Amino acid sequence: MLRIVSTVSRPSSTGILGKVATSGRRSLATSSARNADITLTVDGKEVTVPQGSALIQACEAAGATIPRFCYHDRLAIAGNCRMCLVEVERSPKPVASCAMPAMPGAKVFTNTPLVHEAREGVMEFLLANHPLDCPICDQGGECDLQDQSMRYGADRTRFHEITGKRAVENKDLGPLVKTSMTRCIQCTRCVRFANEVAGVEEFGTSGRGNDMQIGTYVEKTVDSELSGNLVDLCPVGALTSKPYAYHARPWELKNTESIDVMDAVGSNIRIDSRGVQVMRIQPKTNDDVNEEWISDKTRYAYDGLKFQRLTTPLIKQGDRFVAASWEDALTAIAEGLAASGATGNEIQAVAGHLADTESLVALKDLANRLNSDNLTLDQPNGHLPPVHGVDIRSNYLFNATIPGVEAADAILLVGSNPRHEAAVLNSRIRKSWLHTPVEVGFIGERADTTYGYEYLGADANSLEAFVSGKAPESAFTKKWKEAKRPLIIVGSALSEHSDAAGVYNALAKLAEKEKARLVTPEWNGFSVLQRVASRAATYEIGFTPSRAASQTKPKFIYLLNADEVDPKSIPSNAFVVYQGHHGDLGAQLADVCLPGSAFTEKGTTWINTEGRAQLGRAAVSPPGAAREDWKIIRALSEVIGVPLPYNDTLELRDRMWEISPALVRYDITEKTSSDIALEGIKAIKDRTAGAKIGGAAFKKPISNFYQTDPISRASVTMAQCTRSFTKGENYGFSESGKAEQAAFA
Amino acid sequence: MSLLRAYSTPATTKKESSEIVAPEPAREVLVADVISGAPGELRHRSVRIYQPTRNTMQSGAGKTERWRLDFDILQGGSRWENPLMGWASSADYMQGTRLSFRSKEDAIHFAEKQGWDYYVQPEAIKRIPPKNYAENFVYKPHKLRIMRTK
Repeated sequence: MLRIVSTVSRPSSTGILGKVATSGRRSLATSSARNADITLTVDGKEVTVPQGSALIQACEAAGATIPRFCYHDRLAIAGNCRMCLVEVERSPKPVASCAMPAMPGAKVFTNTPLVHEAREGVMEFLLANHPLDCPICDQGGECDLQDQSMRYGADRTRFHEITGKRAVENKDLGPLVKTSMTRCIQCTRCVRFANEVAGVEEFGTSGRGNDMQIGTYVEKTVDSELSGNLVDLCPVGALTSKPYAYHARPWELKNTESIDVMDAVGSNIRIDSRGVQVMRIQPKTNDDVNEEWISDKTRYAYDGLKFQRLTTPLIKQGDRFVAASWEDALTAIAEGLAASGATGNEIQAVAGHLADTESLVALKDLANRLNSDNLTLDQPNGHLPPVHGVDIRSNYLFNATIPGVEAADAILLVGSNPRHEAAVLNSRIRKSWLHTPVEVGFIGERADTTYGYEYLGADANSLEAFVSGKAPESAFTKKWKEAKRPLIIVGSALSEHSDAAGVYNALAKLAEKEKARLVTPEWNGFSVLQRVASRAATYEIGFTPSRAASQTKPKFIYLLNADEVDPKSIPSNAFVVYQGHHGDLGAQLADVCLPGSAFTEKGTTWINTEGRAQLGRAAVSPPGAAREDWKIIRALSEVIGVPLPYNDTLELRDRMWEISPALVRYDITEKTSSDIALEGIKAIKDRTAGAKIGGAAFKKPISNFYQTDPISRASVTMAQCTRSFTKGENYGFSESGKAEQAAFA
Repeated sequence: MSLLRAYSTPATTKKESSEIVAPEPAREVLVADVISGAPGELRHRSVRIYQPTRNTMQSGAGKTERWRLDFDILQGGSRWENPLMGWASSADYMQGTRLSFRSKEDAIHFAEKQGWDYYVQPEAIKRIPPKNYAENFVYKPHKLRIMRTK
């Protein structure tokens, strides 16, 4: 190949790759040395790309569209579909642009008769064994093979095989992924995803050539929290979504870009709706948060939005609920509040997992106007002031940021299983673990993460030993001592643990000891991983009880989306109001139920575990008489006689700005300066000084990943996943692919 | 950027001072309302301006360079099931309206002219590291951590 370094300066045209931001963060170790740019010509257009790029990336940067099946931006390169053939000057044959490095000075053509012919030939081979069942295939309308055969394929067939096409038996991958393996074109995207991202290494290929098959070798379901992404990756209809099968065609759907609330990552999603129903949820690419993946709970819990919904206000009469009008319900609450005689801190507000920031602000304002500080979180020990305090936001946020996880060179997980608490974040740790020599240490209840870790112990004593350097010498402790960017991931369950103070004391000591590496202006490795969508927001707005309030026995309790409350913690004579979207536990305890909106039905702010504010968007309207949550609280405040001073969303966001500007600075994470972060750590240390350690083992807060909130508990798909993956039952889905199949030949 | 009133109020100016928002556009805005004859309620609608991201089901990145403007749904009035036929009915005459612009500024300007509250969702910046085939076979000094089953 001719290697002439072009002297032409960087072209002004920016294609897709031209936007690649050279972020301040370190890139992966394996590619860190390559910083130089090279210039080549694509279709007569000069383009400059970083050295080491694939030719397909250079072509994209030049704005040329290259058809592809096996190449995917976020997976390793396979180079087996051959669809991305391009012509390179002085090359005897067309070259696969994904497997070919971009060479300086190369002249590439993507639109010549040779290329057209090559693509047509490849397409003919792919279609030789692909069934012509587009009308009954679920991928129809968003199928890469369909599109590309229209664009690049031949207009007539030469296929006259008397034996017909290849037939492959379907595989059983569990209740989420439906297979139709005859359609498979063996691009192996699914295998690479399972290997690299999901960590399902039993998923692979066997056989070769025409007999190659994708599968798990011995029959097994794909037990991964990210398995739904296989459906997205499959460029044909071989892997499709089982819950969504035959429900809708992509052109019928309205797309709404929004934010997920099933965990605290705040994955960006696209809600596809038709009429009044959410038909499916797809990931929205955002490299700062979820890359291109979402967890199965995010993707498939949407059917829970159809069941168990509260559609009208309900008032309890005797032992049953009676439907009421909004006016009656709000009046009943005002009367209940008066009758309960609750004043000041006897009025308790409980913030649940799925409460949005707007309604939390409104509820806090309402409680404060009623002279109450009794603001409780819906978690064990949520009625106590949090041990880490909420004055400094770096004490409860994931300060390293989600992309920052990849920059860490030693990760200590304390009382957290990110695989269940933040499945998408877990895939980043795995990515880092595969590509860099990062070491992971683990303190807590043993869990199957998708990467290897060194087990350091199960309780606060082991943490104490690690902090004081008494832990036995090992690969991890060695790595930790040398690490330039150590990262501590603190599980959210630790602040609910009986040893919370002792644990935080030890962590604060560790952070102070290592502050030269752990908390620097560039890097803050003290990161708390929240697990529920509302938690960072509740801390951010100070939705926490004062010490006096936490001792008070409540007489009036307002449950805002609170479905994890312990029924025993509610005094029998208290008047209970539940506001939320599902008739789950909280509604059962209530005297009055107010129907709110689910996350797909309101455009509200969500603060993720990094402290990143993101604005969701309503896709469908709430069912029945349900209303937007903050408006319900606003209306109630009027009836109680302490009207809140905001009448529309804009005024409410102004109020949020008053509380904390970070709440309305969307799509960015605000860093806490290292000085303030260290102050925060010192505050934790002072606050927890002299705490005793009981030594109870840390427990996983999430025992069943698939059912953690009212939406996923109401979901049939999630119930099937629970049976299949959590309980490991074979409950009949396995038989579905094994029914007698007619031999259509 | 936060939801901004097209006609700035003291409240929003306050927000702006701390904001990464584009500054108040200097250009003259001819309010379309003067001549458009659009119903007054339309001025109270909020819209979102965004670049749609690629459908993750497909590899084609078409339509992701354009800026789209569409309407937030009407709470309560956007959709209901028609009791006679079971179809989705709507009281929102803007629910099917979707405008496409070459640039963010064009879209913002249009929304201002119409007097709509708008929220601009910042574009997602793609960070794909240089990739190459040789990475599959590159020597790793530490213990090999992946079993490729492809």
